[in-house]
Amino acid sequence: MSERINSEKITADLLRPIRLNKGFMVWMGVLSISLLVCLFAYFLQLRDGMIVTGLGDYVSWGMYISNFVFFVASSLIGMLISGVLSLLKQKWAAPLARIAEIIALAFAAVAGLVIVMDMGRPDRLLNVFIHGRIQSPILWDVTVITSYMIVSALFLYIPLIPDLKICAQKLTNIPPFARKIYEFLSLNWSDTPVQRELIRKSTRTIAILIIPIALAIHTVTSWLFANTSRAGWDSTIFGPYFVAGAFVAGTAAVIIAMFIFRKVYHLEEYITEFHFDKIGQLLVLVSLLYLYFNVNEYMVPAYKMKRADAFHIHELFVGSHALLFWITQLGGLIIPIILLILKPFRKPIPMLVISTMVLIGSWLKRYIIVIPTMEHPYLPVQNVPLKFSVYTPTLIEILVTIAPMIMVLLIITVLAKVIPIIPIHETIEHQQEIASKKK
Amino acid sequence: MNYPTKKLKSILAFSFMICFAFQSFAASWNVPEDQKTRNSYIKFDASTASQGEAIYNANCLSCHGDPGKGNNLKSLNPIPPELSSVGSQNLTDGELLYILNTGRAVMPSFKNSLSEEKMWHVISYLRGFNKNYVQTLSSFDPSKSKLVKLVANFDKAKNAFLIVAYANEKNGKKALVGSEVSLFVKRRFGNLQIDKTLKTDGSGQAEIVFPNDIPGNKTGELEVIVKLFDLNYGEVQTTSRLAIGVPTNKPGLNEQRAIWNVLEKAPYWILFLYSLGVISFLIFILYILNNLRKFRISGNK
Repeated sequence: MSERINSEKITADLLRPIRLNKGFMVWMGVLSISLLVCLFAYFLQLRDGMIVTGLGDYVSWGMYISNFVFFVASSLIGMLISGVLSLLKQKWAAPLARIAEIIALAFAAVAGLVIVMDMGRPDRLLNVFIHGRIQSPILWDVTVITSYMIVSALFLYIPLIPDLKICAQKLTNIPPFARKIYEFLSLNWSDTPVQRELIRKSTRTIAILIIPIALAIHTVTSWLFANTSRAGWDSTIFGPYFVAGAFVAGTAAVIIAMFIFRKVYHLEEYITEFHFDKIGQLLVLVSLLYLYFNVNEYMVPAYKMKRADAFHIHELFVGSHALLFWITQLGGLIIPIILLILKPFRKPIPMLVISTMVLIGSWLKRYIIVIPTMEHPYLPVQNVPLKFSVYTPTLIEILVTIAPMIMVLLIITVLAKVIPIIPIHETIEHQQEIASKKK
Repeated sequence: MNYPTKKLKSILAFSFMICFAFQSFAASWNVPEDQKTRNSYIKFDASTASQGEAIYNANCLSCHGDPGKGNNLKSLNPIPPELSSVGSQNLTDGELLYILNTGRAVMPSFKNSLSEEKMWHVISYLRGFNKNYVQTLSSFDPSKSKLVKLVANFDKAKNAFLIVAYANEKNGKKALVGSEVSLFVKRRFGNLQIDKTLKTDGSGQAEIVFPNDIPGNKTGELEVIVKLFDLNYGEVQTTSRLAIGVPTNKPGLNEQRAIWNVLEKAPYWILFLYSLGVISFLIFILYILNNLRKFRISGNK
């Protein structure tokens, strides 16, 4: 009997956020208005051309491409938490899996749009597919990001099927059409052993499949840089370096989302301090891995000091990008590692602050990877005005960069409003397992 | 009071240095007297000016800007002069021609890329920005160049070109003495000059040694151009194809399957790996979708 009450309480608790309330409306309003402002900036860019940005012949990849790399990076977290941790049977991560998947799907879906925003002639987008060259990492990137998006959507959807049935049955205050959609999407879930087995098999297959695909998306994204011979990009470790950095960015994003959902949806019983402690350890682990790659990435060229590399490294360490570089490396990586090693900092509020630092650092890190290299081509920059070779983003460009971030927030907000962000069915099963073990 | 004197001295020294710098800058063209006084044999008119404008826009505009608009490229050192300015217009036609011919520092020489006729067209265009300009025509008759016979024979033993130039005047052959002769090989992006420009000797001859390592086509053929300039007879050039280069038969870089080629010529291993990736992905997706189909059917029962 107590089990039954328990499962009813869980269902009620986790379904509670699925309703339209004032807070949601206000938040959506704020997001929509901000998005409109940013889209107006994009309209100006479409109307007047890329001249409204700070991009030019020398720095042709600016904030937009940094933003793209950041988006692809953040989307990798779905693979780490839902894929790797579930295969490693890390049960603690189960309640976070859906949050991670929602974040992954949102970032992956918008990453493609970020690239379109970097195009001077987006109307020629189809040419990428019509005339794409199979030899170009750009085509591989388009392929793997599309694949990752599909797999992420399936990875979000399949474990969700039982919960959709619960939504259709238990949600009282929803319009009939919404109930029909829930019903349709739940694919006649009736908790039979056959169905359970099918879900188990499919989830497991995807959990395995998503690992190479996720590694591919960020490795291929890194090849967009590493397959050139430019100073700062010409590196053999760029693939794993990017993947490690992606884990850092994604974990920080999940921590921030965990904190907010826990607070707003009152999920303190389901996302506990234990989860924060655990994911804090995970963040330390991936950050240390990333730090290791950072040391490698700067140590090797800095030891050899080949001419172009020497100039690049000088600009980063003590030159015009030094301030940004050290803020990024210290504030976004080294200080968070030191703090998170200490247990008192692995509590919700300190972790929110630290994760925000890490996430901002992750964005700046992409800026540091893309722009300084573009400013230092091999052929000397001469006889041109300074503004051609030194990149300064414009206001329009900044707004257009913010637009996809707002889109991600919108997608996360909407998804977290229509589906339970903590798996109900799994949580109940887990509770039952614990109960049966006690007996 | 020692101080003001010191200051005055340094100011004087500084002004002297500036004057000296300007002096050396202005004087450094060093146009020879005989070049300075040269004049065009082409009458400058609207037609020559418009032809000159097209040449100017293609070759000069990027640095000197539109004459009269002051948009010359000021980041260069020395700054390319605004050519409608008094300073530039005070130069004689001959001096302008000399500058176009020789070039200096960032100003390239157009000797090998523009004919003298085209240079006069450019000068004609520039003179249009000077209302006070009155043209002095040269008495030179360009049709005289048709009298010139330029012969370039390749001597295999000496590995050299023996160039003979003479004019078929009414009173018989007249050797062209002291004319400038230069030899070029046509390359993809322009003409490659062989050795230096020489002057013909007393018998109107010049010898230019030809290197034996210049890549030619499959049969070693090269297109050789001989140019002659004589103050009295103008410009003459002759072109010939000779098999004196190194035979080179490399397939074009875009003929084989390669990373840099078009999609149709992609390397097999990329086609294979890419297709393998996409097909395995599709198989997995079909497997998952089939699972979902079975799932739905089993729920119906």
